[in-house]
Amino acid sequence: MSERTNMVVGLVMMALLLVGAVPARAADEALDKSFDALKTYDWGANRAVLGAIDKAVVASNGKADAQKALEKRLAAVLGTDATGAAKDFVCRKLSLIGSAQSVPALAPLLTDEKLSHMARYALERMSCPESVKAMRGALQNTSGRVKVGVINSLGVRRDAEAVGPLSALLADSLEEVASAAAAALGSIGTSQTAKILGDFQKKAPEGLRLAAADAYLVCAERRLADGKKAEAMLIYKSLAKPDQPKHVRLAAMRGLLAATGKK
Amino acid sequence: MNRPTERSPDRREFLKRAAAGGSTVVAAAPYLITSTALGAAGAVPASDRITVGFIGVGGHGIARNLRTFLAQADAQPVALCDVDTRQIAKALEVVRKQRGESFSCQTTQDWREVIARSDVDAVMISTADHWHVPMSVAAIRAGKDVICEKPTLTIAGGRALVDTVKRYGAVFQMSTEDRSIPIYHRMAELVRNGRIGKLQKIYVQLPGGPGNPGDPKPKPVPKELDWEMWLGPAPWKPYRAGLHRSHWRWNRDYSGGNLADWGGHQLDTAQRANDTERTGPVEVEGTGKRHAGGLYDTYYEYHIICRYANGVEMHIDSGGTGLKFEGSEGWLGNSGWCKPIEASSKKILGSVIGPEELHLFICPQGEHRNFLDCVKSRRDPYFPAETGHRCCSVAHLGNIAMDLGRKLRWNPDTEEFADDAEANRLRSRAMRQPWRI
Repeated sequence: MSERTNMVVGLVMMALLLVGAVPARAADEALDKSFDALKTYDWGANRAVLGAIDKAVVASNGKADAQKALEKRLAAVLGTDATGAAKDFVCRKLSLIGSAQSVPALAPLLTDEKLSHMARYALERMSCPESVKAMRGALQNTSGRVKVGVINSLGVRRDAEAVGPLSALLADSLEEVASAAAAALGSIGTSQTAKILGDFQKKAPEGLRLAAADAYLVCAERRLADGKKAEAMLIYKSLAKPDQPKHVRLAAMRGLLAATGKK
Repeated sequence: MNRPTERSPDRREFLKRAAAGGSTVVAAAPYLITSTALGAAGAVPASDRITVGFIGVGGHGIARNLRTFLAQADAQPVALCDVDTRQIAKALEVVRKQRGESFSCQTTQDWREVIARSDVDAVMISTADHWHVPMSVAAIRAGKDVICEKPTLTIAGGRALVDTVKRYGAVFQMSTEDRSIPIYHRMAELVRNGRIGKLQKIYVQLPGGPGNPGDPKPKPVPKELDWEMWLGPAPWKPYRAGLHRSHWRWNRDYSGGNLADWGGHQLDTAQRANDTERTGPVEVEGTGKRHAGGLYDTYYEYHIICRYANGVEMHIDSGGTGLKFEGSEGWLGNSGWCKPIEASSKKILGSVIGPEELHLFICPQGEHRNFLDCVKSRRDPYFPAETGHRCCSVAHLGNIAMDLGRKLRWNPDTEEFADDAEANRLRSRAMRQPWRI
């Protein structure tokens, strides 16, 4: 290849790089504008101003460095005095690309009555252990319905390390809290929670009897799925007794039949 | 047909015993029980009626579901529930016109009061989509049978519904009329019996919309509306007039758009004809357009391609309604909702399904009649939870593929995306406290 040809090829390549750089720079500028708009974004504003962030989040798939940088930028908004609407938007984006890096920014929102749900919206989807640890920690600092939400998310994540505090909540004076704790324990579905729920369903107050039974049935399914047929059978037998509501007894009988057929 | 607790006497048992005169309560019976309650003048005796609580009595809840149940002699409305008291009043008026001006029943804005009753056998749920699964699951746990409007909101929610139905052996009907419409039934039956040869491609047309982006400005909550209960498990947002009552479908927090709503109709026939009612595609990709600003965020225009393990490729496009099945030896389909079947040959159109061939179930009397029959027989209705969930999943997969802008590989056995952690996150959503599935 002659020097002249080399030069031409070089120029063409530079031109191509420049052509590529222009839209990239435009995208960066649009992203900056969106982050600026996010500072004052509120309900009723035109959602289109946040469009560049939407696009950047989706485009970051498979680009670890870019995604980390974007995540960091998003998480930083949560510590500012941005509106609830802006933080709602950020939590939705972090629910898709958030990692352990975002947990410190999301964790404080768990105790905030208005933002707790959206913090869980992000954390519940994040598979890292830090996300469940943050929610476990929030059990101590929440009450009422906010606590119920945290319990529910721990149940969805089947956090075995939360069994201790969840067991204690079975005796909570609020039925909503105790009911949520029972459901979460059923969902976690270990041998330990089977024992706890077995005790609970025997002494559960009237308003919690159905919740206790359902949690125990769910637990039985989990035990069966883990190959613990004997444990599952024990649960089903205890729920098939006449002191249980008819539909619970029928569910237990169905479970017994299904379990019997399993090896 | 309700399954009472041991502590709550069965209403029908009470009536049966009273009618038989074998109970100490019979002395009070003439004062309590009318002759129609005992089955006089061709009426269904109260002991054989299914008591139904109606949760969500908006436009469709009244016009389609309440009115159709009222036409069933063995269905007894016992509760009318809606977050909007104006709708409760409308529903009560409709019932009184049909059942007499003296009719009265429980009316409430809180659905939990309906499912807490031991004398409610079944509930008809006609709310916005984001409530379908939480309410259905709670009702089943309380011992009720459920007929619920389609669709689900998430893939994980649909699976939880299926698990709960299975756990309790409840009768659950996803409420659509398609399996009672001879045209759709015939299409599926012809394809399943090989009248177009080996099925190769399916083309599904669904309506698009919304046509405008909607006004995102918050407004004062109408005094008749319990907005917190309307939102329920969805993220908190201020009230906007463009959501309640009629246009919530254009917002992803409450719905999957027309793709999910109309998908509940046309995708069902597609899945049934493809014999994939209890599974799903293995690959999904799609592109769509949404309004950049405004209130609404569902795709108003979309093109989705699903590929199944059996080699069939399904194209889902926005723009009207229609179905077309292409096979190795011909095609059949229709253009427009309930329009006549067209085919590549008269032979296909006139084909008779022989007695030894596959006959798919149909209940021409509709989904409500089919549900009531199944509450009595304890059989699965024609659009049971698993089939409904799989149908809705196709729409959810399409939305997720469009959201992420990439081709996704789906394992219908494990209900997981292959090698795509982000896509897997989108299978579920945390619910606002205190709600859970």
